[in-house]
Amino acid sequence: MDRIIAIIQGIVFSRRTHIILLVILVLMPLLHFGRESCKDEGQLAAMIPEASCSYLIDEKPVTNATLLTFTQMFILIILASNWNLTGGFTGYIDFGHAVFFGIGAFATANLMGASRWEEWPALLSDWSFWPAMAAGGLVAALFALMIGSATLRLKGPYFSIAMLGTLVAVREIVRVSKNFSGGGLGLNLPIYLNRPMFYYLSLTIMVLIIGFISWLRKTEFGASLVAIREDEVGAEMRGINTTLHKIAAFGTAAFITGSVGGMWAYQNTFIDADIAFQQTRTIDMVMMSMLGGLGTVAGPVLGSTVMFWLRDVVWSNFLLYHQIFEGILLIIIVLFVPEGIMGMFDRENSGTSLNQIIKGWFPKSSPDEEDSQ
Amino acid sequence: MDFSELLIQTLINGILIGGLYAVMVLGFSVIWGVMGVINLSHGDFLMVGAYLTWVLNKQYGFEPFVALFLVMPAMFLFGYLLQRLLINRIIERPPLIALLVTYGLGISMASTVKLMYTANPRITTTQFSGYLEFGNVVLPVTKSLVLVAALVMMVGLFVFLKYTRFGKSIRAAAQNKEAARMVGIEIDRVYAITFAICIALTGAAGMLLSPLGSISPFMGGAWTLKAFAITAMSGLGNIPGALFGGMVLGLVENLLATFVPGVGAGVGIISSFVLLVLVLVTRPQGLFGGLRAAQEIR
Repeated sequence: MDRIIAIIQGIVFSRRTHIILLVILVLMPLLHFGRESCKDEGQLAAMIPEASCSYLIDEKPVTNATLLTFTQMFILIILASNWNLTGGFTGYIDFGHAVFFGIGAFATANLMGASRWEEWPALLSDWSFWPAMAAGGLVAALFALMIGSATLRLKGPYFSIAMLGTLVAVREIVRVSKNFSGGGLGLNLPIYLNRPMFYYLSLTIMVLIIGFISWLRKTEFGASLVAIREDEVGAEMRGINTTLHKIAAFGTAAFITGSVGGMWAYQNTFIDADIAFQQTRTIDMVMMSMLGGLGTVAGPVLGSTVMFWLRDVVWSNFLLYHQIFEGILLIIIVLFVPEGIMGMFDRENSGTSLNQIIKGWFPKSSPDEEDSQ
Repeated sequence: MDFSELLIQTLINGILIGGLYAVMVLGFSVIWGVMGVINLSHGDFLMVGAYLTWVLNKQYGFEPFVALFLVMPAMFLFGYLLQRLLINRIIERPPLIALLVTYGLGISMASTVKLMYTANPRITTTQFSGYLEFGNVVLPVTKSLVLVAALVMMVGLFVFLKYTRFGKSIRAAAQNKEAARMVGIEIDRVYAITFAICIALTGAAGMLLSPLGSISPFMGGAWTLKAFAITAMSGLGNIPGALFGGMVLGLVENLLATFVPGVGAGVGIISSFVLLVLVLVTRPQGLFGGLRAAQEIR
């Protein structure tokens, strides 16, 4: 058993695997060009195994559906990694993180000229995608600073439920304010169906975010966040400005989530209050981070990937039951593997941890960092 | 209809709906108070109760207020089994585990109901409808009956907890688990029965709700939020406090819906959220000091 785990660890955590994976991911869409490949675009739920076959065996060309599937997986990885910043490192379990996603999506949509309100200022209309996406992130971050300065004072379950309340309440407010959200009609963004672009964009953001978070974890700031999780009063006594740290982490996570929301809105070309503030999106983040291992850098990435595979299989086989399955899966994960995949590895061999992955990617970083599981 | 009559009408509506809120919140706050489990699937239990009533009403022709006597035992059994199988395993563990498990439970229940009865909004029909008129002010019969039923249930629970032997052992378990165990109270059984009673009450609240407004499989989240807001105001397991908190929420909701133009149906959720954050930030112990200190919960 130990040997098997050691072999798996060797494969999963080796730097060569990561480089190969990255190269495959970068090259994959290139196969897309110059072929008549858009035939089965309708298969939205293209299964991952099938997708992997297509570029490994090269029987079938990579389709837009494959790119879309992978883009969605990258978005989930980004969201889970981000959620992990407050939920995993700081220990403030946020049940309403999807609120920033939705706010970013709506801000971006409005700035790109999707507003249905006739009096919407012309200055804030018809922006191009990049500034609009960044502005979406900024709006989400501003909102996070506002709401966080109130809710981050709360401890433990109170914070979780206040954030859940934020999500539900903001969804209602957005739905009611028709000038901003288009009410039941929703908003239509300019249509732009360049799947490879979104693929590369989300891939880039994902790599940047993982790098950023693993760097952040090594800095004094990251260590302070973990200290807050372990003992908030103690951290304060050691001279850490806990409020500032918490709000900074919260705002950073909100900024990235909001930008990704903007990107998602542009890709989706249609948003309304229900799909932008989907409750399942929050629970995705929680579940994927927990499955991988809370408070580790690699955990959310692993968890999201595994979860995405699993869900795709369930989706394509039992479409009707997938939500029931998700709830039950959450219960099973929480009851039986609360430390997640990373925790399972750690228990077997304490020498291997997330830091090995980080070391693989960033050889110059300091080797003696304490592991946080 | 002049302003004072409109105001009186609004106040009456608020008080009538407040009774429903009060009985709805009891299950949530007693489970939290006795077991330390924050039940995020509370609203979904309410929804299950409401759907059970709807099925009895539409398919078997039961009057909703009569169906109450079938819904409560069914929900009692459901709660008992669920506690024995699942909730018992999470009581002693960190509160986050309980939050996540009950959240997952809620998703599963809502999706199951959606699968069985689709996501269309439903409503039950009762024979006790119509209005009693007093000048320009009217008293809706269904809502009044709901308030009466809610008050009866609250008094029943109050008497049960205060004067019966089993109720005393529940309170003992809530105050000091170890000491209760030492004097020979079977904690596991007390927990199971408490959970079952609370779920039965929640199901009953779902029944009371079903003739008043439309019910749908995914309404649970909003009701959980309302339950949390009222509990934050009233404190854990505090029955008069729950009545007070329910009335406050009902009144605030109705006053806002009447006198602030253009807010519509979402006002209940928004106002309960604002109340919740206000109370939590300003008085973390609850208005009556009934909530445990945050450290202890953690």
